[in-house]
Amino acid sequence: MATNTLQTLEIRRSSASAHGTLSGMRTLPTVSKYIDTSTCIGCKACEVACQQWNDLPPLANEQLGTYQTRPTLDAGFWNLIRFDEREVDGGLMWLLRKDQCMHCAEPGCLEACPAPGAIVQYENGIVDVNQDNCIACGYCSTGCPFDVPRFHKTTGKMAKCTLCIDRVSVGLEPACIKACPTGCLKFGTKDDLVALARGRVSHLKELGFANAAVYDPQGVSGTTVVTVLAHGDHPEWYGLPRDPHVPLGVRFWKSVVRPLGVLAIAGAFFAAVGHYLSFGPKEVRGSSDPDANIPPMPPPDERRTP
Amino acid sequence: VSATRTDVPPRPRAIDEALVVGRDREDVVVGDEIVRHRLASRSVHWAVALTFFLSLFTGLPIWLPYFHFLSGLVGGLQVCRWVHPWAGVAFAILSVFQFIIWIGDMRSVPGEKSWGASGMIRYLRYENDETDVGKYNSGQKLFFFAVSLGALVLFLTGLVMWFPLTFPVIVREIAILLHDASFIAFAAAIVWHIYLGTAAEPGTFGSMVRGTVTTTWARLHHPGWYREVTGRAPREVPPRARREPPPP
Repeated sequence: MATNTLQTLEIRRSSASAHGTLSGMRTLPTVSKYIDTSTCIGCKACEVACQQWNDLPPLANEQLGTYQTRPTLDAGFWNLIRFDEREVDGGLMWLLRKDQCMHCAEPGCLEACPAPGAIVQYENGIVDVNQDNCIACGYCSTGCPFDVPRFHKTTGKMAKCTLCIDRVSVGLEPACIKACPTGCLKFGTKDDLVALARGRVSHLKELGFANAAVYDPQGVSGTTVVTVLAHGDHPEWYGLPRDPHVPLGVRFWKSVVRPLGVLAIAGAFFAAVGHYLSFGPKEVRGSSDPDANIPPMPPPDERRTP
Repeated sequence: VSATRTDVPPRPRAIDEALVVGRDREDVVVGDEIVRHRLASRSVHWAVALTFFLSLFTGLPIWLPYFHFLSGLVGGLQVCRWVHPWAGVAFAILSVFQFIIWIGDMRSVPGEKSWGASGMIRYLRYENDETDVGKYNSGQKLFFFAVSLGALVLFLTGLVMWFPLTFPVIVREIAILLHDASFIAFAAAIVWHIYLGTAAEPGTFGSMVRGTVTTTWARLHHPGWYREVTGRAPREVPPRARREPPPP
C-alpha cells in the first residue's frame, strides 16, 4: 500500500484491507461539517473556495436556467450548490443545498472498493480517496448511496470532496467553511454540531417550518456532514435520498458470495484430491489382457434400447 | 568422400504420421492410435485456456483482496483492471469458435441416455458399464454447455462492469452478482475438468496435446466412439494384439 496518505492521521478503515493503521493509542472526535440549508443564500463562495484551495481546473458554468452552477458534481468540481424552487403552502421556496461527499460513518464507496488503500476513513471520520491506488473500476459509484464519486475523463480516477483533510489535519477549517459569509456552514466536532443543528431545527419550527429536521441518516450510521433541512419531511426536494444505505448487493457480494466462492472452489479442489486418493487413476492395468476392465459388449440387437 | 555413393540407405524420415493426419482430420485410426482432436480443436482449446487463465489471474486480485499478491504477475492492480476486460473479450470470442467447433459432437445422440446425478456418481466411482458411450459422455456434454453458457454470462455482465457509469446502479449490482456466481461455478468446474483430463484419466491429456489417444484408452472411456471409428466391437481383440499361443 502506498504511503502518501497523511501520516499525521490514523486510518480507521482502508478499502480492501483487513484493517486500517489504527494504533489504538489515540482517539479523535469525529469532525463534522454543518450545513444549514435555510440560511444559504446561494452566493457560491464555497464553490470558488473549493476550486481554489484544491487547485481544481476552472470549469465553465453550464447554464440550466436556474441559480445552479452546473448540472452535477464532477471529478474537478467537488462542491455544488444545488438549486430548486417549489411552491410550498402557497409560498415560493428556493431550496439551496450544498452537494458534496457526505463522509458516511459506513462508507459504501470504501466497502465496494477493491483496491487496497484507495479509499480510507481517517480516525476523525473523514473519508478520503488516494488516487495513487485507485484503479478506476467505478465500484465506489455503485456503493455510494449519494451518487458522489466522479471519475476523471482520461485517467478514470475517482475524485470527490476530501473535507479538506490537508487543512483539517493542521488545525484549519475546510476552505468552503472559511469562505461562507452567512454562517450557514460551520466546522467542529460532530457532537457539537448535532447539538447546534437541533437548536436550529427547534428555532425553524418556531418560525413555522413544522417539518424542519436534521439530516443525519442512520442507514449509513450517520454522516459526518450534518444538514439542517427546513422541509425535513421531503429530503428528495434537496436531492437527498430518503433512506440511504449501502446497496444490499454490495454487502452481499463482498461479505457472502466471494468468501463462499473461495470455499466452493477450494472444496472442488480438495474433492478432486480425495477422489484421486480413493479411486486412483482410471486406466486399464494389472493384467496382460488388454480387455481387462473394459465392460463387455452386448449383442448388437440389444444396443441402445431405452 | 565421393559424391556418387549409392550404397547409403535413404535417411529415415522423422515424420509422425498421427500428427500429419491430425492436422486436419480427427476420428481416424493411425496404427494403434486414434486421432481424437484435430489441430484446430486443440489450438482453440489452448487459446481459450490461455485467455481464461489471463482473465483469472487479473480478475482474482480485483475480486477479493486475498488474491492481491497475484496482481504482481502483470505489474499491479491498475494493469489488472486494464488487462482483465480485454482478456475477457478475447476469451469470449475464442469461446464462440470453440462452441462452433465442438457443437456438432455435443448434440445428444438419438437413444442416448443422459446420466443424471446417479450416472455421474457411478462414473466417478468407475462403476459405469455403459457400452455405447460416444465420443463425449454425458458429463462432458454437460460441461460443454455449462461453460459455453458461463462464458456468455461472464461476457455480458463483464461489459456492464467494464463501463459501469453507463448503467443504472441496480443493473451493476445484478451484473456483479451474476459475474461472481458464474465465475465460481466456472472455476469449480475447471478444477474438475483439469483433474479428470490429467491425473484421473491417464492418456487424456495427450489427446489435447498430440491429438491422439490409444485404442485401449478409447475402448475403456468411449467404447461407442471406438466402435464407430474402428468398426470393431470394443470387446473384440484387435488383430495386431492377437498373439499365437506359445508352442507346447
